[in-house]
Amino acid sequence: MAVLTGVAVERPTARQTRTVRAFRATPFTYATLMIVSAVLSVPLVLVVSIALSSDQTVNANAFTIIPREFHWENFTRVFDTSLPMGRFLLNSVIISIFAVAGQMLSSGLIGYAFARLRAPGKNVLFMVVIATMMIPTQITMIPQFILFKELGWINTFLPLIIPNFFSNGFNVFLVRQFVSRLPREIDEAAMIDGLGFFGVYRRIMLPMLTPALIAIGIFTLTYTWGDFMGPLIYLNDESKMPLALGIQYISSTSAAMQAPPWNLVMVGSILLTLPMIIVYYLGQRYLYEMDISGGSAGVK
Amino acid sequence: MTNLAEAAPARAGAAPERTPARPAALRKRRRREALWFYLFASPWIIGFLVFLFGPMVASIYLSLTDWDSFTTPNFVGLDNYRQLLTDDPVFWIALKNTIYYSAVSVPLGLLLGLWLANLLNKQVRARKLFRTLIYLPTLVPLVAAAMVFKMVLAPSGPLNDVLGLAGIPGPTWLLDPTWVKPSLILLSVWGVGSATVLLLAAMKGIPRELYEAAEVDGASPTRQFWSITVPQLTPIIFFNLVMGLIGAFQVFSQVYVLTRGQTQAPEEASITLVPFLFDQAFAFYHMGYASAISWLLFLVILGFTLIAFRTARKWVFYETEVK
Repeated sequence: MAVLTGVAVERPTARQTRTVRAFRATPFTYATLMIVSAVLSVPLVLVVSIALSSDQTVNANAFTIIPREFHWENFTRVFDTSLPMGRFLLNSVIISIFAVAGQMLSSGLIGYAFARLRAPGKNVLFMVVIATMMIPTQITMIPQFILFKELGWINTFLPLIIPNFFSNGFNVFLVRQFVSRLPREIDEAAMIDGLGFFGVYRRIMLPMLTPALIAIGIFTLTYTWGDFMGPLIYLNDESKMPLALGIQYISSTSAAMQAPPWNLVMVGSILLTLPMIIVYYLGQRYLYEMDISGGSAGVK
Repeated sequence: MTNLAEAAPARAGAAPERTPARPAALRKRRRREALWFYLFASPWIIGFLVFLFGPMVASIYLSLTDWDSFTTPNFVGLDNYRQLLTDDPVFWIALKNTIYYSAVSVPLGLLLGLWLANLLNKQVRARKLFRTLIYLPTLVPLVAAAMVFKMVLAPSGPLNDVLGLAGIPGPTWLLDPTWVKPSLILLSVWGVGSATVLLLAAMKGIPRELYEAAEVDGASPTRQFWSITVPQLTPIIFFNLVMGLIGAFQVFSQVYVLTRGQTQAPEEASITLVPFLFDQAFAFYHMGYASAISWLLFLVILGFTLIAFRTARKWVFYETEVK
């Protein structure tokens, strides 16, 4: 379960081990880490336990933190009961794929242009790129809603997908910084060899941009997959809801009559969480390659 | 497209190499490059105008109107702002709750993160395992995390069971006006792993010599933590404080999931600015009023960011000579 392996670990030499007491682990260190890890893990274990509980156990509030019963059929039940969980999942997948594709397609080209091409007004425009990162989304939320309503896009996936094809300030900035660090000689040589600006981008830049674009893909996926407010504003029909909105919908609509089917809601939560863990596990080395923490700390 | 794109600038690109003294050719080449720039950047420029700048201007105008999104907007000047600031107790409650939530959850998360990162920075066995267990909760999407906490914090839920074993009668958490905000903070503290991992990575970058020198001078581990680790980390702590505050002021999903849809939910005790804005806009269709709230939210965020930068001079340590 080594989810985080990308951080460079300096192995101290034997001499340092002896001299610097600040880095010596005491029994207290272990005790604290064990207690903290255990406490932080309790909700996760509990989710699995509830997801594996029978309806009776959940209704009677008789589940335990460590699972005692294993109703794996809950994981198939969510797809064939009256709950449209399968539909929710499919909706999430559709929205996320298009959103990620949009950001990856647009951000690379735009960021490359800002890093390499010379044009009057570019610097002013780049200042605008940076300034846009400071505008809270709530300011544009209402006029955007009106705009999408006028376009007839309410209750469709379009408001959640289309804006991604225009990139955003953060991603443009990310690619621009990434390209700026690549040696200029590479694309100059390619241009002398007869490639145009788009050719340089497609044949030379794009392969080198892979870590940046994958990082952007992960950010976009994480945001879109877990987004709650966007679907809440734009989608009304149960059949259109993505998983994040869907599980909230299930847990709140049945509340008036009876207790929500917590075991099935927790299965939904696991379905919502698992892809994030997998994507993070597969993509972490790209994230560390982008040096997000150090990079952003240096901006200020 | 590709042929055209590759052929045209290639000729232009090669020309000045041979004859650098011809300004006309250079100008032509520059103009072409600029055209390509604007072509490539056009998606962002269009997106900026349509999805950001246009809506921003519209939002300023809307905030000066009374509008239900169906009829024509009715211009009312600064009336929305006046009403919010002088005549709407819910706005002040939401503002107070938002500040309370941000001012507690963000520093608390950073302090705990700093503490845990310092422990993980020691030579502990199974560091990867501990780090993974601490980080894992941050990968749980907010809605799912809120679902779990709704369950954990239920009146007869697991947390109160544990407290009951210790002989403490647990509160009804999400249903209790005094405990609903600490519940939200508890949820945010569950995500302490992101700050921990970030600070741990930064700690690895602190030169070992500093600790060795301090050790020679007889400084205790505690002293070394406060005199070396913390000052060296202040830039990244500051960055995370500012970003954390900006994020916390916009808290929405947790509040919505944890406090809505329950019959006895103490909504006023837990409402924050964005859920308040959301209700005004999408439940009551007070589009003008909601727009005014969004600008006040922006000003509050801006104000707190400026205050943070002001105080930064006093406590953020920038090493100038060593990079």
